[in-house]
Amino acid sequence: MQNKLNSAFTIKSCLAFLSIFGLYLYLATGDIKAWGIIKWLDVIAEAGTTILALFWLILLLRSRPAGRVTLLLSLGLCCFVFSWWMDFLDEFIKIPADVFWDNWLESLPIPAGLVLLTLGIFHWHKEELAISAQMAKRERVFREHRLFDGLIPLGGADYLREQVKMALKEANFLNQPFSLVAVDLNDFSHINHTYGHQEGDQVLQSITQLLLLNLREQDLLCRLAGDRFVAVLPNTSVSQAETIANELKLAIENLAYKTAKQGLRIHLKASAAVTAGVQEDANSLIKKLNTNLGAVKKRPVLV
Amino acid sequence: MIIKSDSYERDTSFISAHHQPAIVMDLAISRGVDSHLLLRGTQLFLDDMLTGHKNISPAQFITMLSNCNQLLKADDTSFLFGQRILPGFYGPASQVLNHSLNLRQALIHLCDFHALLTPLMTPRYFENDSHFFVYWLDSCGAGQHRTLLAEAYTTAVVAMTNWLSQEKLPWRFNFTHAQPRYIEQYWVNLNEDVAFNQQLNMMSIPLEYLTKVWPKNAPIGLKMAELGSKIQLNELGFKQSFLDSLYEYLRQNIQHNLQLESVAEAFGMSPASLKRKLLKHNTHFQEQLDLARKHVALYLYQIKGFKHNEVADYLRFNDINNFRRAFKRWTGFPPGQLMLTSCF
Repeated sequence: MQNKLNSAFTIKSCLAFLSIFGLYLYLATGDIKAWGIIKWLDVIAEAGTTILALFWLILLLRSRPAGRVTLLLSLGLCCFVFSWWMDFLDEFIKIPADVFWDNWLESLPIPAGLVLLTLGIFHWHKEELAISAQMAKRERVFREHRLFDGLIPLGGADYLREQVKMALKEANFLNQPFSLVAVDLNDFSHINHTYGHQEGDQVLQSITQLLLLNLREQDLLCRLAGDRFVAVLPNTSVSQAETIANELKLAIENLAYKTAKQGLRIHLKASAAVTAGVQEDANSLIKKLNTNLGAVKKRPVLV
Repeated sequence: MIIKSDSYERDTSFISAHHQPAIVMDLAISRGVDSHLLLRGTQLFLDDMLTGHKNISPAQFITMLSNCNQLLKADDTSFLFGQRILPGFYGPASQVLNHSLNLRQALIHLCDFHALLTPLMTPRYFENDSHFFVYWLDSCGAGQHRTLLAEAYTTAVVAMTNWLSQEKLPWRFNFTHAQPRYIEQYWVNLNEDVAFNQQLNMMSIPLEYLTKVWPKNAPIGLKMAELGSKIQLNELGFKQSFLDSLYEYLRQNIQHNLQLESVAEAFGMSPASLKRKLLKHNTHFQEQLDLARKHVALYLYQIKGFKHNEVADYLRFNDINNFRRAFKRWTGFPPGQLMLTSCF
């Protein structure tokens, strides 16, 4: 965090220093233009581009962790900001015709910036691939950060709905079966009551990791709501899905979860239900899965 | 006779900041929300909230809840809040719930002490020969936040009764709002037995669950807690909101000719004051009167089994067609059709 702030700060102060230095150079060599000959349309256009580039730079520095990609991208953008700033200044300051370097200050940073930006985007592309590999089983085909759950690093119900729609189309096109599995913790509210809601959140986060580990490469896990998770299993028959559902249940029962504060063992148990991805719309399919799960949960538990 | 208006209003500061408002703050902070943003528009400061003796008004509490809902940008905020508020840690009133002998006692106590337990909405109950019903009325003019409150309080009762009875009770739910996009929150936090676009925000349960003895019941503790809660209400000086008092008055006098002027007189205020007070609570006289008449009509139809002309007579309509029109205005359906869809 400290590091990130420092490098962002260094980049911003270098840019500010260079901009002021450019202004100083212009003022020292040129004369301020008369009010009448300033082309206001150019002023507005050039001020606009400078401000936009500055805005990109600020967003970039605020959102990205420090590192090679961020450095390259931000240096590239700095070149643009500087060049457009100088362009903006010469609308107000007339540089004598025998001065040769003013054109350099305007034009040279652009190719340099383009090279830096290209390098940055190239490395960014590699970085994205690496992150996508980490996101396997949590997202398929498309990313929509607004559909991601705030507490648990999984897609929420809206993401699931979109994914089920896609899976239905895909299954129909490839003529393959697909299945949905719902997993729900038993007596999750007791954990919240006994150990506090923070512990409950921790349990959900641990269960998420556990379920991800127990799914196959092509599967997708989402959090429907509360302590209920749904996995989309492409190219899977109902009987295969039932095996997987059982494995998930067993994995949860065998997890020796310990509370954060006292390290007490909490015995977790889960219910699971399966439904085949037959040709229905996504909403009724998810509803059917829930009804199945409701029926499983109502069954008396034999202890 | 003048009705003594010992009731709380939208701007009466009586909700302990370290009770339910603190739960909202904890929830928001655990999800990384800035507490200053949470208190925006409430004219409250974090330091005040933490003194342990600050009281806030229903209006401020509703603003906090609405801020929390907006800042968290999650579909489950109202449900998470609901899960945490009952039986709660609010002194004797919470003890009453904890020590209740069975579901019936707990629900009746909840209604009796709702000013301490659910100050933003009022639970009321009735029963027929097979089911017990609890329905929720807006007590402080929640306006657009009614859905949020209905979700939260319904979840609260479900979570509490499941916890204290140590079993998953087969509640059924009616909500007045349309089915929201996040229907799965209802499935997981309540259950699959949910109907939307109904006449009341109501939950019902078969009578046989009402008298099952709860494992945590404690008769002596309950007696003391009841006493303590009554003392607490006495200290506050009211046990219900102004809208509650008005609703009760209207229902009791529903067979009389109810006009703004006469009702204002009964409450010992001028018609202009009554109008202003209702406006403050985001409502007006006709709306409250229609609400009371609608509820009486539904009760007579579905619990008493009255016929159309009997209900019309009871509500002093001279003409059955006038009654049909009025009923359609209250509920959106003509009387016969609503009976077919059966809202209870």
